[in-house]
Amino acid sequence: MTMAPQDFFPHLADWVAALDDVFPGKQVKPYFAQFEVGHLLSLAVLGGSSILLNLRLLGVGLTDETPREMHRSLSVWVHIGLFGILLTGVLIGSANAERLYTSGAFSAKMVGLLAGVILTYGVALPASRNDGTLSSASRVAAVVGLATFALAIWVFLAAKLSNPGLWHVIFAAGLIVAYATRGLTRIVYLSGAALMIVAQQIMTHVVFKADDYANLDPTNIAFAWGFVAWILGAATLHAVASGRGPHGGAFIKTMAFAAILVWVMTAAAGRWLAFA
Amino acid sequence: MVRGEATQLIRDFLVWMATEVGKGPGEYDPSWTDLLASSLNFWGLLEATHVLSLMLFAGTIFIVDLRMLGATFKRTPISVLSDRVLPLTIFGLVLMIATGVALFYAKPLLYYHNIWFRLKLVFLVIAAINIMIFHFRVQRNIVDWDTMERPPTKVRMSAMISILSWILVITCGRFIAYDWYNCGKALPDWANTLQECKTSETGAVNLKGMPL
Repeated sequence: MTMAPQDFFPHLADWVAALDDVFPGKQVKPYFAQFEVGHLLSLAVLGGSSILLNLRLLGVGLTDETPREMHRSLSVWVHIGLFGILLTGVLIGSANAERLYTSGAFSAKMVGLLAGVILTYGVALPASRNDGTLSSASRVAAVVGLATFALAIWVFLAAKLSNPGLWHVIFAAGLIVAYATRGLTRIVYLSGAALMIVAQQIMTHVVFKADDYANLDPTNIAFAWGFVAWILGAATLHAVASGRGPHGGAFIKTMAFAAILVWVMTAAAGRWLAFA
Repeated sequence: MVRGEATQLIRDFLVWMATEVGKGPGEYDPSWTDLLASSLNFWGLLEATHVLSLMLFAGTIFIVDLRMLGATFKRTPISVLSDRVLPLTIFGLVLMIATGVALFYAKPLLYYHNIWFRLKLVFLVIAAINIMIFHFRVQRNIVDWDTMERPPTKVRMSAMISILSWILVITCGRFIAYDWYNCGKALPDWANTLQECKTSETGAVNLKGMPL
């Protein structure tokens, strides 16, 4: 099963094929690389501001400031980053439309973008503005955002040849948990992760040969799920054990965790659509 | 040692690294460079990690630079922001360097003769010099301006140089993927000279179609 835009909107094929011959695709095409740079810089601004904002909601990072102060200082950069991503994304997309139309990773990127907007504007920004308190509307946005994020991951999983990009999400999730945990929890968590990495390397480099894809693929998939279970288990334990602080409890922390990962997933899908 | 000999030495080293290191005894056995460049997913994972690290590295250094420009976190002392954010920035930088070195290892000769890669290294050096000047000179009297909403000119200048350097590093990094100035194509003499195309596998061809 593929989930490229062409599978959902087959009647748009002719329109998509002509997009780079009309405004704005035609004008952007000669400067594609320059607009790509704009896309990357916007990603950096959105990523940096979003990471700092959500790490604070997780109870780490710039803890000298309240979430409200973080919101006051960072929200404008979140807006600028997202506006830049959308503007340059539409422009480079119009100049490269046929490639995107046939890509399952692009579908994952678009669903991820929607989830990112919901989790950032519906949950992370309001939660930080209210110093870690969520309104009823934000709780609804949290559920909708998480469901959309899960859908984006499912679409990414279905994108053959691009889905190894999900390792970036697992890696980022692992790093966030390593950064957020402390003391013995961190030592146990990192030791377990290191053991799993060693076991995966032995399985994929010693037990099975480099070209034995029939065994390598299921092995890597099994390890991916193992890492996900280990990381999410540690994240849950940390969120629950750290209790309800002055700026939110386990629910807020879970949402902040998701609000960082959703942008990593969206960016990963964007990068991997170039490889497959 | 004259410049020509030094560059020839570097190129010889890269050729040896790309063709000999990790190569088996057979004539057609691949080197580690060949294996990395032809890997099904590993090269993609390295490249995408290099790009995604921008969110952590460039994203957080921009925030610190913007604070030094007086554009954000105006109530937060610069030292507090630096102490909390720079560990993340440094981790992002380490990730970028590690993946960047591995990517270079996969195609060393292609990058060696690439004008954008060379420019990227120049801007990386400028960014590094700026960091050292900030650390050893500008930051010496930080107590005088740590809490200022709008720090003195020299601090703002350092922040502006930092932002511009990293924007140029990212720009050149992205342009490496394009073949506008690849050796072997008909290029202006200055491009052939700057990339040392004469010593590349594809040689140097000037715009009149003449080999140099």
